[in-house]
Amino acid sequence: MKNVKKVIAVMALSAFAGSGLYAGNAESLAKEAMKLDVKKVCDVKANGLDKVLAVAEKYNPAAVKLGVEFKRLGITNSVYIKGLKEAVKKKEKKVTLKYKKKGKVKSKTFPTDYATWRACTFAVRALQLHEEGKKTWRLAVPGDGYKF
Amino acid sequence: MRRVMSRVSVMAVVAVSILGAGNFNAQAEKDRKALEVYMLKKFENPLKNRNAYFPYATDDELKNNIQPVKKVEDFRLGSYAFNKGGLEQYNELNEMPPYEDAIDEGEELYNKKFKNGKSLKSCFPNPEIAGDYPKFDDKKGEVVTITSAINDCLVANGEKPWNMKKGKIAKVEAYFASKSKEAGKKVNIQINSKAAAEAYERGKKEYYTQRGYLQLSCANCHVQGAGQRVRKEYLSPLIGHTTHFPVYRLKWQGLGTLERRLGGCEKNQGEKPHKPNSKWDKELLYFMAYMSNGLPVDGPDIRK
Repeated sequence: MKNVKKVIAVMALSAFAGSGLYAGNAESLAKEAMKLDVKKVCDVKANGLDKVLAVAEKYNPAAVKLGVEFKRLGITNSVYIKGLKEAVKKKEKKVTLKYKKKGKVKSKTFPTDYATWRACTFAVRALQLHEEGKKTWRLAVPGDGYKF
Repeated sequence: MRRVMSRVSVMAVVAVSILGAGNFNAQAEKDRKALEVYMLKKFENPLKNRNAYFPYATDDELKNNIQPVKKVEDFRLGSYAFNKGGLEQYNELNEMPPYEDAIDEGEELYNKKFKNGKSLKSCFPNPEIAGDYPKFDDKKGEVVTITSAINDCLVANGEKPWNMKKGKIAKVEAYFASKSKEAGKKVNIQINSKAAAEAYERGKKEYYTQRGYLQLSCANCHVQGAGQRVRKEYLSPLIGHTTHFPVYRLKWQGLGTLERRLGGCEKNQGEKPHKPNSKWDKELLYFMAYMSNGLPVDGPDIRK
């Protein structure tokens, strides 16, 4: 019986670990992202597409977990990354992203290097903004940090 | 002497706990009053306040379109409190309000029997409740909005929940708002526990935090930016934001809930919107509604 319990506990723990990020982990990635120079780490010419996309893949799940993922013109950063994985692997010059808008499937095509730069900057900046916000939000509150 | 001392200390503990119990909204009241002072100062004389608050406005706008606002209650009209041209258009639209049928349909849905013989009326015997939500439910430990409360009622009675942004739920809310307005109800958001005060604080923090790729906070547009123009539209002030929902928006060509509008704002900020039933959405609405405490319920209404 004890062994069965142990097996169940190990299975539950592995399922939890495999289920992706938990909030504490996302917060620590956000702190880590603060140390990055977004212009340097997301420079496609200097680092190459693979490395820049890897940065996006590393940090964007934390942005999703923290509820701060960027979205532009109907396309979330997760959609950028998903589409780019295939395009970068196949070394395609252009990437077509499919996304849903008001229940309809739509698509947009971008140059791969441009979309990779965007995915990377969106992932890193979302987390940096999350961290910066912890210090700056009070500056806008009338009666608190905002003087008028 | 010891007995007297112990009685005194017991009484002191009771007094502190009673005083403390009524004091959970102290910070929220301070915030609300400071916001009122700010908005009234900003709009007391827009022409005179040009340098401080309206640097991009033209002379013509400040003299002829951006009107002074003297009373906090006027902010229930949103940007029409100060936007003279907009108010004229709004009044014209309100001559034949496009939401009237929705109120009647909402009343029907309110009385319609579920499969188990109960109805929304069983959950909400008094429909004049639009000003009382969002509430903090201490048993659940979370904020309950009028939208989530309607869906909770449906689910508890074996029905499927409705879309939280539009459709049936907006119609029932239109009925609630209409009955509340007729009865002269005011926004009356309560913060009665430490957990409720913490939920309010989280909502406030999110309201003032910059987000999305445009790095905008809600306050950028609706506190500091209220009264400024985005293209040809004037940005509405935070005070009064929740008083008139659900609204019939010309852009939507239909009625929508506060949750629907909130999702639109998040998209405009450049962020993936949170789900309408998320803790994030509900706590943000709790804060926003508190900022309109004391204002008359004024929904349903029309907005561009």
